[in-house]
Parts: sequence; structure tokens; C-alpha cells
Amino acid sequence: MESELIIKNLHANIEGKPILRGVDLVVKRGEVHALMGPNGSGKSTLANVIMGNPKYEVTDGEIWFKGENILEYSPDRRARMRLFLAFQYPMSIPGVSVANFLRRSLEAVREGNKPREEGENPTGQATKRRSIPPGEFRKQLQEKMRLLKVDNSFINRSINDGFSGGEKKRAEILQMALLEPEIALMDETDSGLDIDALKIVSESVNALRGPQLGILLITHYQRILNYITPDFVHVMYDGRIVKSGGKELALELEEKGYEWLRPSDEENGVAANA
Amino acid sequence: MPKALPSGFSRSAVEELSRQKEEPEWMLQKRLQAWEIYEQTPTPLGRRGDLGTLRMFSNFKFQQLSPYVPSNGNGALPIAIEQSLEEALVDQRAGLVVQRNASVVRTELDEELKRQGVILTDLDSAVRDYPELVQQYFMTTCVPVNTSKYTALHAAFWSGGIFLYIPRGVEIEDPILAQIWIDSPASATFAHTLIIADEQSSVRFVEEHNSAFAGEQPSLLDDVVEVYVKNAAHVEFSNMQDLGLNVWNITNKNAVHEKDGSTTWVLADLGSKVMLSDIGVGLAGNGSAGELVGVFFTDHDQRYSINTLSDHASTATNAETLVKGVLSGESRVEFIGMIRVRPKAQQTASFLSDHTLLLSDKCRAESIPSLEIGANQVSASHGATTGKIDEEQLFYLMVRGIAREEAERIIVQGFFEPVLQRIPLENLRTRLRRSIVHRMSGSFESEADTWVDAQERWEVEGVDEYAVSLDNKPAEEEIQLMEY
Repeated sequence: MESELIIKNLHANIEGKPILRGVDLVVKRGEVHALMGPNGSGKSTLANVIMGNPKYEVTDGEIWFKGENILEYSPDRRARMRLFLAFQYPMSIPGVSVANFLRRSLEAVREGNKPREEGENPTGQATKRRSIPPGEFRKQLQEKMRLLKVDNSFINRSINDGFSGGEKKRAEILQMALLEPEIALMDETDSGLDIDALKIVSESVNALRGPQLGILLITHYQRILNYITPDFVHVMYDGRIVKSGGKELALELEEKGYEWLRPSDEENGVAANA
Repeated sequence: MPKALPSGFSRSAVEELSRQKEEPEWMLQKRLQAWEIYEQTPTPLGRRGDLGTLRMFSNFKFQQLSPYVPSNGNGALPIAIEQSLEEALVDQRAGLVVQRNASVVRTELDEELKRQGVILTDLDSAVRDYPELVQQYFMTTCVPVNTSKYTALHAAFWSGGIFLYIPRGVEIEDPILAQIWIDSPASATFAHTLIIADEQSSVRFVEEHNSAFAGEQPSLLDDVVEVYVKNAAHVEFSNMQDLGLNVWNITNKNAVHEKDGSTTWVLADLGSKVMLSDIGVGLAGNGSAGELVGVFFTDHDQRYSINTLSDHASTATNAETLVKGVLSGESRVEFIGMIRVRPKAQQTASFLSDHTLLLSDKCRAESIPSLEIGANQVSASHGATTGKIDEEQLFYLMVRGIAREEAERIIVQGFFEPVLQRIPLENLRTRLRRSIVHRMSGSFESEADTWVDAQERWEVEGVDEYAVSLDNKPAEEEIQLMEY
């Protein structure tokens, strides 16, 4: 099945306020798309809506992934279809070790929440479920940590608890590496990073890049594109994608800013006399 | 052969109990005095507007209970008890006491400890064999008879009981295990634990409270724990209360300290329909210290009232109280945590925190931390929070493929984990993790395994075929998943 993420005419509100006003976008496996645009243009909202964040209300449009309309799917079901979001602000969850969390996450994504045997159904009673043995999990985690040059101490700590900004972003990418998504949304993964951290994070993304993975790289700044070369660049403005192009579009944006792409009021659907 | 008493509490029942036990006159008198206090003390009803735990007890039908249900000490134990002993929190133990209803049915103590002068016996025997010690310490200064109406009832009808004396300088390494079992409906059990840790001694004591009987007809466990900690002695007391929902529980526990003595209380409360729990740390000796780590998880229509007291009465004493609990169903928990610093207690350091997490809209928690400060060189603080599971945290876990219900369970694990880390006994930590997971509906057995693995087993390095090392680096560079 084609691992395509297809977004059609997507409209979404937060607390009644429209943020997305008709987004159209297609991301395929093996492609890297950069989604750029000024603050408040709806980039992060798009990522959250694709993952099904209940804070946002979808008022129109469709999201298709692997041939299914996933709009009604819960966030965890979307994730188990191998859709991934690297958060701009990863939540800390004190007391839950990265080891515990990642093992459960990997089990869920890989095995689903199916019981061990066909016909055996979890009925509220404690039941055995497919699980990944600790040794096998550790082996896989260790491979990814080596690939991404992640410090061993990550694993002993509570999820994102007391992590620096750079550590949080690297932990997100470690999760991405471990869970092996087909399409990954990376929400401002470059924000808040100094140049060294940015290089490390970019190298990690490049290490994961390949025909198995499609990436939607959301960024406010052009600088991460010095390290990660996108196949496509899209510009979002006021809740819509107003321009798409190749990697050279990013350079043009750096030179000219975003203002020249601002849609006219008429295009924007706002009455001229408002 | 002792016989069960008919239901109902009375002065003549006290006399009959003492006669059956062939007790010395002084103990009969102690019981009768306690009965007088019980009769004269008005039933406590609690504050206006509290969650009503005391009021529930005021309506409890005490007169339908038999005050004394003895068991034959020589007979085989019921399968449930035998099985529970095999799965006990302590596999390597220095001693064992099992009380079934009103009688102690098994007592064991390491021979070497016996030679060193350690005494572990049932309290009924101690009344005969060590009358001076019992007269001096039994419900005198640690938990006095008149502490409450219910401690007075306990003093009048106590039976069975555990007596532990550790001589000066003896340090008992392996824990001593006590199990209290209730398997008789409509019975009242008054279990008593009396521990005297002489100077510079130390002991780890683990007490499990369980029940196994069917039916709605409730039973009562009204237990008292008294711990005397002499100069520079240390007592670690862990209690896991996993009684059935047809058992009501009143429990009073206190530890009193001489100079430099210290106590660690670990209290895990999961069971019982209604529980009234008072736990105290009495710091009368200079430099003494008390630590209280509490965990609870309530469900259905359980009602708990938990009252802690850090009582600073001397110079340079420390206390730390840390309680965490999760409520679900329609359960209610009220927590009152008191730090009392008496006028002479300069250089006191005392800290108290109570955090509760509410999993349903129908459960209720009330937390009242309070301070009474009579000295001026004091560092004391308290904090309490009550909240629900954070939606943003849930979304984060769900975006990693974990279904909402399990994500909630993982957040509950994280909520408890820091306090579980404070529990010294690994088996108790593990048992609690499993109980906590099992109590949340829809959970899978493997979730408990994953949690336990992550917290307890990762330290075992290089034991499996999958272990790999990083680029020829030495083994210590490998991922070492340790407890933090």
C-alpha cells in the first residue's frame, strides 16, 4: 500500500477560532518536505491536527494515510499506522522512565494492542499481551542510540524530566528512530537549539532519511535547511499553503521574507469592506 | 480449649476473655479500666463538612461482631494463608509470626538471634513470660489506652499479638515477617504489635494484613502498633494493608524515640471498606528522626481517613512525611497531616507532602496539612496537591501509539514511582507496582512486568544473548538501566 499522507482542504479551529483554512498537501515516503511560514500561520496546528490532538476541531476537509481517511482515528491508532510527530515542546512525565515508556511504545506500534492469541480478548481482566523481551528491546534501543550518538544516561531518566532543550529534541529523534515511522512530522525540531545542537539533530535526521521514511519538516527558519536538504518547500500563511517549490524556494524566502506571499484579503475570504 | 465469644461487647465479655486466657490479675484490671474508658468516651463524629469516615464508624454495628474468635494453633493453616506465606513480601526472613483472627498460630525465630537474646513471641505468652516488660510498655506511653474510643476498645479486647524485643546492640539484618489474617465473618480482631528496640539495635519489620472470607457480613480489624526506639536504635516498619472490602479497619501506629533513635514507616493501603488510620512519629529524644512513606490506592466506595503526626518534642529532630495516593471509582480519602513543634524543640526540621490523583469524577479527596509551631528555630514546610491526569501528557503518550487507558495507567505509574523508590523492601515495591497495575481496569499482566523490569531488573547487565557492547568500549559503557 502507498504510504502517502494526503491532506485535502483541511479546516480546523481551536476554541472556535479558525486556524487552518483549507490546507492541501501530499507527503510520500522517501520525500522530505519543508513547511515554512511566519509565526501563527498554522504550521504546528497542522501537525497536531494530523495526529488528532483533541484540542483542535476539524471543521472541514480530509486526512488520508495509507488509503484510509484517518480523521476519526484516535492519536494512538494513527501512531500505530506509523505516523509520527516529533513535538515542538515534548511533555515531561516525571516518574516514568524512558526505558519503560519506549518499550511500551515500541510494543504498541509494532504489535498493536492485540492480545497474544487470536480470539483471546482483553475483557478488563489482566491478560498477557504480546511484549518485546527486555533483552531484545535493549538491543534495538542500543543500536539506535549508537546511530544517533545519544548518551546512555537518557534511558535512566524520567521522560523529558529535567532535560535541556537540546536533549528533549534528541530524545524525540531517538523515539523516531526506534519506532520507524513511515511518515514523520517534525515540529520546529530546530527551535531553541544552538548551532552545535542543531548540527547534531540535523545529522540524526539525515541518518534516518531514506526511501522508507517521508518527513514533513516544520520550521520557522531557513538555517536547518543548510543541513537537511528538502525535496520540496511549502510556505504556509494564514492557515493555507500559499506557495510550493523546490529547495531554492527556501533561499528565496531567506532573502525576501514572508510578506510578499501574504494573500490578499479577497483571496483570504475576508470581505473587502470589513 | 478457648471458645469464641458470642457477638457483642460488654464488661462480662472482657472478663470471660481474660478468664479463658488465664491471665494475671493486672492484665484483667488493665482490660477493665480500658472498658471503662471505652464506655465513658463519646463516639467521635469528625468535623462538620468532612468526608464522613468517622461518622461511618459511628454507624458501624459493633454489637453484631464476636469480640473473640480463637484459632487452634496446632492445626494446619488454611490454604489461602499457606499460599500467602509462600508469596510473602519476605523470602529471606529472620522470624515469622502469623496471627489468624484472635490467635497467633505460628511463631519462628532464627536460632542465632534467640541466643543473642532477641525475643519474638505472641503477646499472650509475653504477658505470662515477660510481665515486667509488658506492664511497662503495653499501651502506656506510645499508644496510651485513652488515645481514642477505639484504642480503648482495643485495649479491652486485644488478643494474640506480637511481642518483639531486640537487646542492646543487636542488628537484625533479614526482615521479620508478620501476617495478620482475618477469615471469619462478623468477627472483631484486635491485633497488637509491640516492638522494643533497645539501644543501638536495629530491625526491619514487615507486617501484612489480609483477609479471606466470603459474604457481606463485615468484620473489623482494630489494630495497634507500638514501637519503642531506644538510644540510637533504628526500626524500619513496613505495613501492607490488603484487606477485603468486607473488612473495616481502625489502625493506630506510633513510634517513640530516645536520643538519636530513628524510624522509617512504610505504609501501603489498598484494601478495606473503611479505614481510619493514625500514624505517629514521637520525637522526644534529641537528634531523633522519623520518616513516613505512604502509598494508597482506593476504588469502589472505599473510605479512608489518614492522620499523620510528626511530634517534635526535643532538640534537633527531623521528620519527613511523604504520602501519595490515587483514587478511583466513588472512593473518598481524607488526609490530615500534622507537624507539631513543641516549645523545647529547637533546630527542628520537618517536611510533609501529600499528593493525590483523581481518576474519576465521582471520587473525592480532602487534604489538610497543618503546622503547630511553638519554637523559633524551626524549618518546617508542607504541601498538598490534588489533581487529575494531564491531557497534554496523555496526548504525548498516545502519539507514541499507546492507547488512552494504558497511557493513563502509565501516568499513574509515574505518579507513584518516586514514592515507591523510597520503599526499602524490593518485594514490597514490586508487589505494589503489580497491585497498582491490576487495580486499573483493562490492564494487561505484561504492563506490570514492563514497569517492574524498567525499575528493578535493568541493573542485571550482560546476562542475556542480546546484550551488545558499544564499539569495543568497555562493558560499563553499555546501557545501564539502573534505579534512579
